[in-house]
Amino acid sequence: MNIHINGKAYPLGNETHISVSSALTLHFIEPQQSTFAVALNGDFVGKTDYDTTMVKNGDSLDVLQPIQGG
Amino acid sequence: MSLNIYGQNLDSRLLIGSALYPSPQVMKQAILASGSQVVTLSLKRQNPAEQAGQQIWHYLQEVVTEVNGHLLPNTAGCKTAKEAVTLAKLSREIFQTNWLKLEVIGDDYNLQPDPIELLHAAEELIKDGFKVLPYCTDDLVLCQRLYDLGCEVIMPWASPIGTGKGLMNPYNLETIRLRLPDATLILDAGIGKPSDACLAMEMGYDGILLNSAVALADNPVLMAKAFGQALQAGEQGYVAGVMQERQTAHPSTPTLDTPFWHQNS
Repeated sequence: MNIHINGKAYPLGNETHISVSSALTLHFIEPQQSTFAVALNGDFVGKTDYDTTMVKNGDSLDVLQPIQGG
Repeated sequence: MSLNIYGQNLDSRLLIGSALYPSPQVMKQAILASGSQVVTLSLKRQNPAEQAGQQIWHYLQEVVTEVNGHLLPNTAGCKTAKEAVTLAKLSREIFQTNWLKLEVIGDDYNLQPDPIELLHAAEELIKDGFKVLPYCTDDLVLCQRLYDLGCEVIMPWASPIGTGKGLMNPYNLETIRLRLPDATLILDAGIGKPSDACLAMEMGYDGILLNSAVALADNPVLMAKAFGQALQAGEQGYVAGVMQERQTAHPSTPTLDTPFWHQNS
């Protein structure tokens, strides 16, 4: 299957679904050390739901971090 | 005299943005010089592995802690209520605050807020426990609707974001102040000069939110200080009560027994 993380395509072989936690671990170094929040297909996913929320083929995951703003 | 934001009293009436400064060091110095206790910031898509977001986050935390202040996350870049609601929830998880500068843009040219999407988003977010500070146009009825929904703070624009054009429509802004006497009114966006901020405060506005006017000044730190003083001057002028404007001239110096002149006329 293929998923998108921050707009970039990631092939995930023959998996049918993986958890948000697994998707993050696959592509980010030590995510537990960073400040970020996640949306799946435009909907907020709370940190406590990363293990139980599944990412399927064609899904889009957005990972956001703080920046300066006005 | 303090600024009240959802029951929180703040010494400074200036809210300041954290973007566009020449460097993080200048940003920190400018925020400290402004005296502001509310700093706006945002979120963007970024890979945490790159660490850039983490660094700026630590720096902003440091600044806000030093001024004993508050973070005010915005929903910049959102064009629909749904996008804004999602971004608000992401912000709340990261920044651990219910305060939100709600921004839903309706037009790419002048970055004018979309009043319809803004109302939808505000309604949903208030139900979810957010303390919403909506950035909106200077439309009286829109401001009234936002207030009726439960927005205790309303933030009409002075002019489009980043233009520095100042108060485009003082009549509208004065009318909003007159018609919403109990709302906390903060003028947001388009401020260019300290005198713009002073003028709004003389109208009875409760505060000013700005970013570009300080960050893009030749000397951001000095400009931040100037804005802090302009707000104080405007506020004190409003409280002191401005004299009535008159159509005809009136001499300031008493004319009775004026020496020399006109004695033979």
